Amino acid sequence: MGASTAAKRGAERPDGGAAEGMPAERRIAILLLAATAAALGLAGVYIAGGQPQAEGALLGISLGGIGMALILWARGLSTEGTVMGDRGTLAGEDEDVEAVEEAVEEITDEPGRRSVLKLFWVAGGALVLSAVFPIRSLGPAPGRALLTTAWRPGARLVDEEGRPVRVETLEVGGFLTAFPQDAEHAADSQVVVVRVADGEIRPRPGRENWSPQGYIAYSKICPHVGCPVGLYQQDTRELLCPCHQSTFDVLDGARPSFGPATRSLPQLPLSVDREGFLTAQADFDEPVGPGFWNRD
Amino acid sequence: MRRRVLVLLALAGGSLAVALLTVGPSGAQVRPPPTATGNQPAGPADVEGGRQLYAIACTTCHGAEGAGVEDRGPSLVGVGAASADFYLSTGRMPLDRPRSQAERKRVAYTPVQIRQLVAFVASLGPGPAIPRVDARQGNLPEGNRLYANNCAPCHSSAGAGGALGHAVYAPPLNRATPVQVAEAMRVGPGAMPIFGPETLDDEQVASIVRYVDYLRHPDDRGGLGLGHLGAIPEGFVAWVVGLGVMLMAVRWIGTKD
Amino acid sequence: MSRTPITRRLFRWTDERLGASHFARKALDKIFPDHWSFMIGEIAMYCFVILIVTGVYLTFFFVPASDEVIYRGPYKALEGTTMSAAYASSLDISFEVRSGLVMRQMHHWAALIFMAALVVHLCRVFFTGAFRRPREINWIIGVTLLVTSIMNGFFGYSLLDDLLSGTGVRVGYSIALSIPVAGEYLAFLFFGGEFPNTEFITRFFVLHVLLLPAAIAGLLGAHLAILWRQKHTQFRGPGRTEDNIEGSHLWPSYAAKSIGLFFIVTAVIAALGGLAQINPVWLYGPYDPAQASAATAGSQPDWYVGWLDGALRIMPGWEIRVWGHTVANPFFPGAVLPGITFGLLYAWPFLERRFTKDRDAHNLLDRPRDAPVRSALGAATLSFYTILFIAGGNDVLASVFKVAPESITNLFRILIFVLPVIAFFVTRSACRSLARDKVHPFGGTVGSRVRRTATGGYELIDPHEDDKPKVGSVLATAETSPFRPPPPPD
Repeated sequence: MGASTAAKRGAERPDGGAAEGMPAERRIAILLLAATAAALGLAGVYIAGGQPQAEGALLGISLGGIGMALILWARGLSTEGTVMGDRGTLAGEDEDVEAVEEAVEEITDEPGRRSVLKLFWVAGGALVLSAVFPIRSLGPAPGRALLTTAWRPGARLVDEEGRPVRVETLEVGGFLTAFPQDAEHAADSQVVVVRVADGEIRPRPGRENWSPQGYIAYSKICPHVGCPVGLYQQDTRELLCPCHQSTFDVLDGARPSFGPATRSLPQLPLSVDREGFLTAQADFDEPVGPGFWNRD
Repeated sequence: MRRRVLVLLALAGGSLAVALLTVGPSGAQVRPPPTATGNQPAGPADVEGGRQLYAIACTTCHGAEGAGVEDRGPSLVGVGAASADFYLSTGRMPLDRPRSQAERKRVAYTPVQIRQLVAFVASLGPGPAIPRVDARQGNLPEGNRLYANNCAPCHSSAGAGGALGHAVYAPPLNRATPVQVAEAMRVGPGAMPIFGPETLDDEQVASIVRYVDYLRHPDDRGGLGLGHLGAIPEGFVAWVVGLGVMLMAVRWIGTKD
Repeated sequence: MSRTPITRRLFRWTDERLGASHFARKALDKIFPDHWSFMIGEIAMYCFVILIVTGVYLTFFFVPASDEVIYRGPYKALEGTTMSAAYASSLDISFEVRSGLVMRQMHHWAALIFMAALVVHLCRVFFTGAFRRPREINWIIGVTLLVTSIMNGFFGYSLLDDLLSGTGVRVGYSIALSIPVAGEYLAFLFFGGEFPNTEFITRFFVLHVLLLPAAIAGLLGAHLAILWRQKHTQFRGPGRTEDNIEGSHLWPSYAAKSIGLFFIVTAVIAALGGLAQINPVWLYGPYDPAQASAATAGSQPDWYVGWLDGALRIMPGWEIRVWGHTVANPFFPGAVLPGITFGLLYAWPFLERRFTKDRDAHNLLDRPRDAPVRSALGAATLSFYTILFIAGGNDVLASVFKVAPESITNLFRILIFVLPVIAFFVTRSACRSLARDKVHPFGGTVGSRVRRTATGGYELIDPHEDDKPKVGSVLATAETSPFRPPPPPD
């Protein structure tokens, strides 16, 4: 960028003429020589192994030199200034227009022909309609795919490396991402697990036993447009989505407090099993992720 | 004619300014100050020295014996040497004025003073010690993956930082030393979550530290890094430099009437 | 015969077989107005040529598959990482193929500049009224080119399958889902199932490399053919009428300038491609369709999609329910807004015709000041979309200026309504006063200024005299004013 600007500045003179400074042919020659040298240099750089900055700069100088030389040369060519010409008319002669119109309408002149033409339309339309069906093979029917995840009662939580989440894993103020054991590659099942102090949580009715020992788990898929809600502002106990800044209050069932998200993050009911591992009590009680027509 | 040259110069100057400004944060060659403690263990003399320093500068907000003052400063009992060292060696503490978050600024104490203050705070109650971390022991690709999953959402993939809510932001990481990175992870300063030893073990921390260290001079083989801020500076350059130069070219080529 | 130059021999050989000499003769003499603003469309066209050339090169090396591979290439920070073959091939192009990185970056820079030139070209056509009869068809083709190019760009940068663009694909999928009634089916059909999956990369490849470029090339060809047939418009000027055309001949003058422009456009893209890094996919890491649980702060799409992202950000958290069904929030900024945008764009020539009752053909262009309401509406629309663009970077603005993103978002929610209204009135009154005073807003007066003396002759005004036209003086330029015939010489 700097190279071609500098080269251009060097050649910048009013309107290509021989008014000041160098005559046009001289400037064109210098530009073309520079362009040649740059192109050869580019070949050399490539042979030597390549280097992106050198390649870009040399290519730019070479192309820019030829381009500017062409413009200067073009100015030298047009000694006449601008020329004036006639536009002519666009619309055709009346007799041509009428001839075409009559030729096209000829095919529907007789009544019998007109109804046959209509049948052509019907048959063609039906064919087009049926031809749409191969397109249907492009994707499966949604079915219940959007309504359930891979969480099952008793499924243990594992982190992104597959290590089970234990009661000691997080300190108060910690957070991590978890998946169901045996379904670690189920992207729709991703949850964010945070640990807060026990008394802080204000559980929604019916969720009183969903957050053992300060652990709360919510779906990580933002209900706005589905980005992973990966930011945790620990001091205010808020989860944030990096895409469009939707903010969720962890202590209040991940209710959205700001941003375009309209619904809370679905909460995963947790419990601790006898060996001290975190498990899910059941799947989410609502579809995860962004909204859609048949969500309810 | 002169106007054209002036416009060209302004454009070149402007682009240069953009380049320099945006290269700034992640390409900085600033050497960070050495962390306080080095290899010297703190002794009782340090605790006493720290107590005196504390009495001068810290009691107003953190109270006597680190008990904390309501609406001014949190309790320091049990925060540990790691926390004190992090805040002091990055200059976040002492606060020069009320702020929405403690920011890295000029370090107010000498390394010896920091060691003493850290020893004093550590003596107030048991808490995380200063982590021993050797970035060379870390695994770079492993650190990359852990960073992407745990750190990038706030600090961005290139370590350029990012916004949180309520005028708080995750800072850029180019000036953090390996020990400071590890300390921050274990301590969870400000809005940052706590990544304790049961969440990420010492090996994983070392890997992340190694990757953050790499991010201070990432592979920028494509040219000017433009601050590693993504599509915004790229769009700006495309319009102002790319289309801008081309528009100047057509003004040169074409007529103006 | 042996002394005839090779060019002549070649031409005659071709003409005997194809019979093109009559057309060629007319073509070479064709007149093209050469105002500089008429070349902006050419800039876009040449950017497209670069996109094709660099794109073909990239297609030889890119692997459009989602199969998992383990990276063993030279970029150590991803050694041993599981990634898609597509992402691995993007790394190969950037690190292992000689001149691969420059080609890839040139391709991406060319795309960004292509879209910018398209928008500026659209603005030029709009503000000069060049879409009026008989050029409505070309306007429609042009808007279609804009739409297909935006889509092609989106699919293109998503092919790399990195973390940032994968997040963007997720957003696109969710917008499709939010469409009422048919959303789920459309989304599953288009993306090949529930997202994320291993289908969409190959799909996008077919769209980006085959279908959309073919559509763009075809539309561009039609666009140029129509332009050729109808001849380009021109600004008013001395001696110019609706029935004539003034400019340079295609050969040699205009062709040389145009080819020169092509070289300069390529030069700028080449320089950027080597000197300015764009989309460093190795820093973002791969998009993992299996877990899809990572994201980066500062996630913005390429600029030409930024207005959509901004709309998604500043839309308040409202959702409506219709007959027990959900019309999800992203539907309005993500589908309705673009629908209205392009719908209005398509309809504009016909809307303007209805409101101005002007059904004449026009080959002479307006200056923006000649159509104050059109220019004002255009300025209002531009300011609307500019706010959306800037809103797309609200988190980056927040962290750069150390303010809360909430404040910035709320500010934009207000500005999006207030600023276009202000822009409308300011532009309309500026146009009216400019038209009245006949002074160029940037350049001052054209030519020399003369003053009528009391005896009826003319005297030159010293150019350093007070620049404001004095009341009562006849402000005529040395060349004829286009809006008033010159006073008859006395």
